[in-house]
Amino acid sequence: MILLEAHNVIIHTTLHEKLVKPSSLDVQFVDFDGVRFRLSTPEKDKKNILLLSMHIRCWDELVKYGALNVLQREYGALLLPNSEPEYNVSLQLDLEQAPADQESREAFVMSLALFKRNALAAPFESAFQAQKRLEGGSQLGDLMAIHYRDEEAIYVQAGSDRVTVIFSTIFQDETDRIFGKVFLQEFVDARRQPSIQNAPQVLYSSRDPPLEIRHVPGLRNSEEIGYVTFVIFPRHFNNPAIAAATVSHIQSFRDYLHYHIKCSKAYMHSRMRHRVAEFQKVLNRAKTEQPTAERKTVTGRTVVSR
Amino acid sequence: MSVLAPIICDNGTGFSKIGFAGNSDPSFVYPTAIAVRGSASQASRAPAVPAKPGHLASKRGVEDLDFFIGDEALANAKTPGYGVHYPIRHGMIENWDHMERYWEQTIFKYLRAEPEDHYFLLTEPPLNPPENREQTAEIFFESFNIKGLYIGVQAVLALAASWTSNRVSDRTLTGTVIDSGDGVTHVIPCAEGYVIGSAIKHIPIAGRDISQFVLNLMRERGEMAQVPPEDQLKVAGKVKENYSYVCQDIVREFRKYDEEPLKYFERYDGEHSVTKRKYSVDVGYERFLAPEIFFNPEIYSSDFLTPLPEIVDDVIQSSPIDVRRGLYKNIVLSGGSTMFQHFGQRLKRDLKQLVDRRLDASQTASGSVLKSSGVDVDVISHKRQRYAVWFGGSLLASLPEFYTSCHTKAQYDEIGPSICRRYQIFGSAT
Repeated sequence: MILLEAHNVIIHTTLHEKLVKPSSLDVQFVDFDGVRFRLSTPEKDKKNILLLSMHIRCWDELVKYGALNVLQREYGALLLPNSEPEYNVSLQLDLEQAPADQESREAFVMSLALFKRNALAAPFESAFQAQKRLEGGSQLGDLMAIHYRDEEAIYVQAGSDRVTVIFSTIFQDETDRIFGKVFLQEFVDARRQPSIQNAPQVLYSSRDPPLEIRHVPGLRNSEEIGYVTFVIFPRHFNNPAIAAATVSHIQSFRDYLHYHIKCSKAYMHSRMRHRVAEFQKVLNRAKTEQPTAERKTVTGRTVVSR
Repeated sequence: MSVLAPIICDNGTGFSKIGFAGNSDPSFVYPTAIAVRGSASQASRAPAVPAKPGHLASKRGVEDLDFFIGDEALANAKTPGYGVHYPIRHGMIENWDHMERYWEQTIFKYLRAEPEDHYFLLTEPPLNPPENREQTAEIFFESFNIKGLYIGVQAVLALAASWTSNRVSDRTLTGTVIDSGDGVTHVIPCAEGYVIGSAIKHIPIAGRDISQFVLNLMRERGEMAQVPPEDQLKVAGKVKENYSYVCQDIVREFRKYDEEPLKYFERYDGEHSVTKRKYSVDVGYERFLAPEIFFNPEIYSSDFLTPLPEIVDDVIQSSPIDVRRGLYKNIVLSGGSTMFQHFGQRLKRDLKQLVDRRLDASQTASGSVLKSSGVDVDVISHKRQRYAVWFGGSLLASLPEFYTSCHTKAQYDEIGPSICRRYQIFGSAT
């Protein structure tokens, strides 16, 4: 598995199960970046009515950038005007009204499993639209900041010919920081290969924030922080299908990065274990052989080792 | 910031139960299997080495990411180039490379959790060597940078799970756990949260043997003739799960079935997976004979002949004398093969008989001078028995004390993996 999937597996499998056999349910689970979900049947005797609620840290910011419109477009009547307490947004669905045939049912479940992705898509979509408006001019769109984690944020800004997405990410561990540096440098290097010239441009800077966001107050300026800038050109979002893929990929970038750092560590560990086993073999070869000469007592009896 | 629920990960020999604390059922239950490149026979192949010069990305491929876990692994078992491995044998982790990658995909693909934000509760079998705990801690703290780790003993978690039963009044961690899964059945005595290692006994009869026994019975009666051979074991498994129960008296049960076969015989309907031909089989005596092999093993095997109640009695008798009363009073069932109806009642009755007989014998031996006040025997069965270990973990991890009993990342960085040798119990009222 190289890329992380955009949909939530728990929503996907649970809904498929419940579509076959509805039963009462109350589960709480999470998604990346501290998103919390709750999937429950609020009324005891109505097992076909499910409530899916989501808590997302940067909800207020997302609403400001039009998340409600995106969710309204994706889910229509399912979206409840008032969310469940402790959660930001809720969907109510009736299992009996789910589409019957296999294909549209899968699409229905999949769209629900993409709940978090759709909510986070709003700022990107509005940036894509802003770029269309600004085309030909020379001024910049508003800088949209999404504080999706406690100390990390995504900044999205539309320009006249591009959309700039800047990630700030924190490496809690010193080893991770080094892995992250190498990894991100690889992104920049790999971009030079002729086969992927069409990929968005990637810039990486550690410590110093890029020029676009240098004016933003409250940026930390310490060793463990890193900034990744993606420059997305109109060819990456002109076609709606490509735009959707771009949004899915770019919003999971932080998790993708941390996933791969962990995979690299696991790989290193397996190399280390292998090497230790090899060394152990060498050490075993160096063991001196025990002298096997027969030991005899004075009276001539042999000593037998047990 | 501990609003995110701890992750409970119970990796068993056959299946892994994984989910978030506070829920009543695991979110995922799938085989502890991993399908990696290379044949199954080559167990310890060296990992791929960078061959070509140049920058990193072109030097090394992504072979180490090319693997599947769980159900996907089994589905890919026949794909050319992949071999399926089971990293856990007899409850203990044997292949750390595979296990590390298994966890990696569990966390990122299935749970979709950032491990840096979560506490983890893992389980270990009784008598797990401390080196294994250290290895596990190394992987979780160094590869995944988790916030905190608690490693609980499966038997103790199963005891904690029994607190949900309305027959349990005090939250004690003293009791005998009967854990019967697919491969083997363990009888484990626990005193105040610590396993009495010297008294543990294993029984080589478990789920797989019951299915095989049902299959033998049905073959002998000729029911299996119309079932396709490749489905026979599966049908036997279904019969075991759906129709079996424990009877209190075999002779009476046989008579009941012979008098009114129409009332007690059931029909199982199946369909051939390829040809879609329908078939149906009668389910008869195996309904009550299947779980009977726990109580009368001689009907199934010729080399293991001690009934389960006797084993339980032996285990308790070889435990320290001051905890025996507690062990008799709180016998807890866990695992799928203890799910038979009336299993607990039968075990309680048989065990009570054994205990009473011994008490009577000692009373007569003393010339009726010393009278015992009697020993309470109670077997607790509850609704969460199937995933009892996981559920116990979920219960304990949702207590506020959980966070103080965890080993944190800071402690690990300060002291090193040896902190995990210390095992702290919590949550019990005593």
